Formats: sequence, structure tokens, C-alpha cells
Amino acid sequence: MKKSNIAMLIVFLALIPLTLFLGDKLPGRGYYITGVLIITELAVPFFMMFEKRKPQARELVVLAVMIALAVIGRVAIPIPHFKAVFAVIMLTGIAFGPEAGFIVGATTAFASNFFYGQGAYMPWQMMAYGAGGMLAGFVFIKNIIPKKPWIMAIFGFLANVFWIGPLLDTSHVFIMMPEISFSSFAASLASGFPVNISQGLSTALMMFIFGKPLLEKLDRVKRKYGMLQSETEAL
Amino acid sequence: MKQDAFSKLHPAVNLLFFIGAIAFGVLLQHPVYLLAGVLASGAYYFMLCGRKGMKNILLTIPLFVFITLFNPIVNTRGATVLFTYFDRPYTLEALIYGVVVAATFVLMLLWFGCYGKVLTGDKFTCLFGNLAPSLSLLLVMVFRMIPSLLQKAKQIIGVRSSIGKGITEKSSIKDKLGSGMTVIGVLTSWALEGSITTSDSMRSRGYGTAKRTSFMVYRMTKADWILTAVMLALLGVIIIFAANGGMNAEFLPERNIVPVNRSNIIGFIAYLGYLMIPTVMNIKEAIQWSISESKI
Repeated sequence: MKKSNIAMLIVFLALIPLTLFLGDKLPGRGYYITGVLIITELAVPFFMMFEKRKPQARELVVLAVMIALAVIGRVAIPIPHFKAVFAVIMLTGIAFGPEAGFIVGATTAFASNFFYGQGAYMPWQMMAYGAGGMLAGFVFIKNIIPKKPWIMAIFGFLANVFWIGPLLDTSHVFIMMPEISFSSFAASLASGFPVNISQGLSTALMMFIFGKPLLEKLDRVKRKYGMLQSETEAL
Repeated sequence: MKQDAFSKLHPAVNLLFFIGAIAFGVLLQHPVYLLAGVLASGAYYFMLCGRKGMKNILLTIPLFVFITLFNPIVNTRGATVLFTYFDRPYTLEALIYGVVVAATFVLMLLWFGCYGKVLTGDKFTCLFGNLAPSLSLLLVMVFRMIPSLLQKAKQIIGVRSSIGKGITEKSSIKDKLGSGMTVIGVLTSWALEGSITTSDSMRSRGYGTAKRTSFMVYRMTKADWILTAVMLALLGVIIIFAANGGMNAEFLPERNIVPVNRSNIIGFIAYLGYLMIPTVMNIKEAIQWSISESKI
């Protein structure tokens, strides 16, 4: 068994239940700490997998470019809640697979917060952005679903409204809400809904106009330079 | 960039401080402790950001009011009903608990604001460079690429306008959008092609052949070790008093707040002392500076 798989097992079978058990005993708003710890524990195996694979220089630099583009897509567009960031993350997931999607998403959230200011919601952001990229990678794996602009646009909208948005809104339950209950969760989701719709529309628009050309460019680079294959194979 | 006295310490010490401050800020619900947390985080945030920081601190007040008033709407527990709406009670206890939730939120906001100012990107990669070399390198490259990509975008726009394809105020929205898309497309191609050059040059310089060493500017000095010891000791005192129930406060369904008295005042002093470490360090340095200035 691979090391990262063992780590994943330990995390799921021991660490998370232990955190939940101990976190339940914390006073006050301790569930914020429990939430942060669990998100960190969930993310560690993914990052470990990435580290253990010893990614090649080519892969690293391309991922860095995609992250930088996504960060610019979040920081440079002046309209609030109408950003290109999710489109870039999802397209990376579509082009390079779920793992790259997760890494690009999570790192984008982290890096762009150096411009926006780090906040208490940062772990949730990393999780939601990463999960968005990963989902895109899984949905469009192996060309079963055609990568047509309108299909990607619909996927982008749905993923924003029902996947990334709700994941982001959960942070409000832990940070701003007085207690963890069904009603506070529902209130968070309801208050976040318009934002998610607007964000979904912007993602759909970006995917529709920009999806195909960007995918073609990524595919071209992949084919021309043998990206994300082993380095010897590429030569 | 000008750094304050606390930021000049080893990043690990800074990180330890923020973990402690934020964790106990969230855990301790006692009003006196929350007030101490808000004041200490506000004071340090003001020191870090100056007048602009004051504006941000004032901006937290409407947030504070909003969260306080919002809490009883979600939370209907509590004995004293102030009024009812749509058959739902709006209780005094929930309102008071709203103050606690809002104070915790403001305190987190301010501590995270300070965290962002103190633990900059270079410090973060320095801390985690050995633990996660690939991810740290990725982060460093991203920080370097953002300004470079923005500059490239400017160049593309310049070139396009010099061949008569630029956009002006008068251009239609369709032209603006189309031009923007072309610029982003060109930028992506350029950046991706450039990334190949970068990675080939990295490979030819032996990337991945040996363990990478990191550029450490920070070393644990004597002062760092002393402060770490002080911080850990204070945290230990806080944990002992908190575990003994000296900092307990319950609001729902009934108010039950342990008063700060002679038996648990040491816990409070330890907490306040811990939170004031950065502020005190800055004040101490300012005094030292003015003394040495007056000697000249």
C-alpha cells in the first residue's frame, strides 16, 4: 500500500473521529477550531500525494501559471461576486484532471487571500475552491461527457450554486452563527444564495466564451511539450 | 517594507502567537475575556495599519450590530421574551449571546487582519519550505507570476492599440468584451509558452536531482526562544484556569457567568499578558528609540 493511502486511512478512521470526539468537549465556540482541524486533516492526504509524487518542473510551472491566472481572475475583475476565478480553476481540472484541479483550487484560495487579506473563512475557501476543481476533473474525465461550451457553462453554473457556494456558506455556520443547527445552516445557505447565483452566472459566461479556446491552448501545450507525462517519455 | 518589532521575530514565534490568540479568542466566551481580546487585537491592528487600520476597525461596528441583532432571529432559546414576531420569540438571552458571537467575530477579523500583515508570503514559505517543498515552490512562483502576468497584459494591450485594435471609452460593449477575451487568450498562451522555457531552464539547472535547500533569513535567536517560553508558560496558565472553570460563561438558556475575582484573576492577567505581547513589544521599542534619540 502506498504511503499516502495509509495516511488517508489513518486520517479517515482515526484522526477525524478523534478530532470530533475531543472537539465536542471544547467550550465556547470550539466548533470553529474543530471545523478548521477537520478541513486541514482532509486536505493533508491530497497535498501529501502531490508532494510524494515529486512533481516535475514542467508540471509545477504550468500549475503556477494557472493559479496566477485564477488569482488575477479573482483580484482583477472589479465587479463583486462576478469573478472568473472558478472558471479558470474548473478548466484546469477539466484539462489536467481532478488532482491538478484540487491543487490549483486550494492554492488559488490561499494565494489570492494574500491580496484580499486572510480571514477566518480561509480553510473553507481552500476546501471549496479545491473541491470545485476536483469535481470538474471527475465530471469530465475520459471524455464521457463532451467538452462542449454550453455543457461546460451549465456545469459551471450548477457547480457554483450547488457545490462550491454551499461549501463556502458553511463557513458562516461556524464563524457567525450562534450555534450549529439545521436552522442556522439553512439561514447561511439562504443568505448566500444570491451571491452563488451571480457567481454561477459569471462562471457560466466565462466557461461559454473562454472555455473552449483555453482548453485548446492547454491541450496544445500538453501535446506540443508532453506535459504531465513522465519527463523521459516526453523527450 | 517597514516591520514592527513583533514581525521581526522568527515566523514560527509569530505563528504560535496567532494560533494561541485566535484559538482562545474563539474558545473563551466570557465577556471580560472577549473585551480583552477585542481591545488587544484592535490595538495591535491599529499599530500595524495606522490610519487606514482605524477605518477598518470602525467598519467592524456595523457588522457587530448586525450580528448581535441577527442572532435572536436564528436562535429562539432564552427565558426573557422581548417581543414575538410571526409566532417566534425574540429573547433577551439570545440578544446578549448575539453580543458574544459578534465580539468573537470582530476579534477573529482583527486577529486575522494582523496575521495577514505579520505572516507575509515569504515568511510562510520559509516556515513550510522544508515540510512541503513542491507546494512552497508553487506558491513562490505564483507570487512572482502575478505581477509579471499583469505586466504582460499591459504590453499586449499596448501592442493592440498601436496597431489600431485598441479600445477606447467610446467602444461598444461587444468590442470591449471581445478585446478583453483576446487579451486574456494571448496572455494565457504567452504565459504557458513561457512556463515551458522556465521549466526547461529549471531542469537544466538540476531541479529535482537533489534535496532543495531553502533561503532562510530567519534564525531562532535568544529573544525568540525566551518569548516562546514565555508564551507557552502563559498558555499553560490560561489552560489550567480555563480547565478549572475560572473562565466559564453560559448564556443560553440561562445566564451564568463566573465573575472575575481573586481566585481566577491570575488566569485573566495571563490571558491579557499573552495578547498584549506584540503591542508591548512595539511600545517598548518606541520608548527605546525615543531615549536613544534624545541622547544624540
